[in-house]
Amino acid sequence: MSTVEFKHIKKSYGDVEVVKGFDLRVNDGEFVSFLGPSGCGKTTCLRMIAGLEENTSGELYIGGELVSSPEQKVYISPEQRNVGMVFQSYAVWPHMNVFNNIAYPLKIQKVLKRDIKSRVEEIMDVVELSGLGERMPNQLSGGQQQRVALARGLVASPRVLLLDEPLSNLDAKLRDKMRIDIRDIQQKLGFTCVYVTHDQLEAFTMSDRILIMNQGVVQQVGTPEEIRQNPANEFVREFIKKSH
Amino acid sequence: MRLSFRINFFLIFICGAVVALSFSPFFSLFKQVVVASNPSVLKKVFSSSSTILAIKTTLIVSLTTVLLSTLIAIPLGWIFSRSDLKGRESWKTLFSLPYAIPPYIGAIAWIMLANPTNGILNNLFGLSFNIYTLTGLIWVMSSFFYTFILLNITNLLSQMDPSLEEAARLSGAGPFRVFREITLPLIRPGLISGMVLVFLSSSASFGVPALIGGPGRIFLLTTKIYTYQKMGSFMGINYASILSIVLFFVAIISLVINSFLLRKNSFGVVSGKSSRANLFALKKKAPLIQVILFIGLFVLLILPIFGILLSALAKVQGVVSLNNLTFQNFYKVFFEISEFSVAVKNSLMVASAVASLSVLVGFFVVYAQQKTRIKFLKMTDLFISLPYATPGTVLSLALILAFSGRIFGIISLYNTIALIGIAYFIKYLSFSVRALQSSIVQIDNSLLEAAQVSGAGFIKRIFSIWLPLLKPALISSWFLVFMPCVSELTMTILLTGPGLETLGTLLFQLQNYGDASGGGAAVLGLIIITMVLFINYFVKFISKGKYGL
Repeated sequence: MSTVEFKHIKKSYGDVEVVKGFDLRVNDGEFVSFLGPSGCGKTTCLRMIAGLEENTSGELYIGGELVSSPEQKVYISPEQRNVGMVFQSYAVWPHMNVFNNIAYPLKIQKVLKRDIKSRVEEIMDVVELSGLGERMPNQLSGGQQQRVALARGLVASPRVLLLDEPLSNLDAKLRDKMRIDIRDIQQKLGFTCVYVTHDQLEAFTMSDRILIMNQGVVQQVGTPEEIRQNPANEFVREFIKKSH
Repeated sequence: MRLSFRINFFLIFICGAVVALSFSPFFSLFKQVVVASNPSVLKKVFSSSSTILAIKTTLIVSLTTVLLSTLIAIPLGWIFSRSDLKGRESWKTLFSLPYAIPPYIGAIAWIMLANPTNGILNNLFGLSFNIYTLTGLIWVMSSFFYTFILLNITNLLSQMDPSLEEAARLSGAGPFRVFREITLPLIRPGLISGMVLVFLSSSASFGVPALIGGPGRIFLLTTKIYTYQKMGSFMGINYASILSIVLFFVAIISLVINSFLLRKNSFGVVSGKSSRANLFALKKKAPLIQVILFIGLFVLLILPIFGILLSALAKVQGVVSLNNLTFQNFYKVFFEISEFSVAVKNSLMVASAVASLSVLVGFFVVYAQQKTRIKFLKMTDLFISLPYATPGTVLSLALILAFSGRIFGIISLYNTIALIGIAYFIKYLSFSVRALQSSIVQIDNSLLEAAQVSGAGFIKRIFSIWLPLLKPALISSWFLVFMPCVSELTMTILLTGPGLETLGTLLFQLQNYGDASGGGAAVLGLIIITMVLFINYFVKFISKGKYGL
């Protein structure tokens, strides 16, 4: 597990600057949420960590290693970054059963078959999927697919786990349970986690620190307590008011 | 929605007429075969080595064409929908263009370029290509039919949830591995359908095997059926019918295999929202890929069009020089070949009449399927798709059998333009129905109910709600039917006769017989290419990119 560091990271599409330069250091084992209204640039930040988008300028470090810097012509491709990601649409592969979905990152790392089996079973136990390895994705509920995606993201012990609005497709009751479960799993395994959401409740109950964004500009970074006590500006005050 | 009894009756009548019209030729064909096939005739047909060879050659040519088309289409599909190549939308359009051009024009082009006596490539570069071979035949077919697979997979790829592939990349898989282990399995249904469509089209193709296989003495089932039918004798018709049944079953079997494979391989991977596809960076390979694409396009499209153009402008065929350029071939076609004006008139007239009828009938059929509660009308779909899947040669022969007897003891439609029209209508009705289905399903019932509550009757609703909302779809579907009809050859060649020439059959005659100095077929080819490309552009414009290439 390790750190993620943004240094003056900017992202533009053509003339439109969607992320306006900011700095952030996510510490080892820390759970940081990016919170903001839709279209504010938070998902773009997450995708830049994954390498699915390339930042237009600035430097990005994962575990102290420079993974992207246009100025220095450094860009490590997504498959070489060793990060895990859980997508909003789960992205569980429909042509593979649960076991093979979760085992996929280990197969690529050419882990021994024996070890793959024990590691997959271990992580399936953590996400409460034990015994469902043979199931195909279309036989699973939305919540179970979400757990498959989570297990797949964690199985190869990535340097950081990225979650992109993972709960937005679940019904309200399941969302409450998953919110608690994800945080518990993160605490138990101690991995570094970057979580993107537009839901204040999720951000405030799960995170060690929250980064609030609007229109590509970082408004405030702090612990839930700090933000609640001292909103940095009018936008933050208004935005978090809705959750109470 | 409640409709009055009168309207329901009208819709049932239309659907019933379509079903009857589509079904009757098959009935006649099977009847003919049952009557004709006493053991001795069957034995004669199937013990003839040329028949067996035609069946074998059909299968070999079709399967090899499927293979070659797939090999061309898959890398192109990936580059156009998954790489960050500059100008990939334009590249995609250019590489899809052969879809709109009738393949027999490609045959003519390649004959100009690579025939053994005076092919342009052979003359220019001292090569010794011979297009009149099995390889030549497969090449020309593949150079058109790969577009079926290409369009199928690019369509699927653009609708696929990109996170499925992104998740694999983040699991550590490189671009090639993502494609092999994630993308390919997920697009397999579309790939299989595309491959089956190529198989159906190659085995049903007439123009290419007739023009290229004729001089090369290579016979496929379609050209064999044509030869038997042209014998004009009772025996010829019998043999042709029996081979038609064989070809018909080749088509049916491949469709059955298709639906079996689809059942095993379908996944719902369409995301609905097509968010930004995560593009694979080609980086340093980008210039190389641009060069390869250009070479590919040059060979597949530019070279054949250049060949046609050169042939149309040549005084002496096969000679490439400035003093050999002339417009005399155009003059000859426009003013000296008397069938030309007849062919233009026939093609335009029949194609527009059939297109109009198809849109009209198609509208009521889809209306009946979607907006009434009469369940069995949904079955009309099968009877509309069946003729489309049936090889044109088979359908034509069946129509001859069905309509050459006197209907109600009055008239025979054999050797009339009406029978050609009926053939086009039955074959291509499914084009307008498909296009209208996808548009009508989007018109919510509440829009019609609101009109009904406001006091608008059935007719009033058609003119005030349906027509305005469906205008682009109606115009597009009109042209989607018009386009294949105006250049049709496979069916027409069996139904034509003196005075019944069409653009397709005239071109076929000029290429195969008559026209000693050559160039006439190329002139007609150019006219057809210009027309279809123009229509394609127009359809794309009017449907805002939904139809057209």
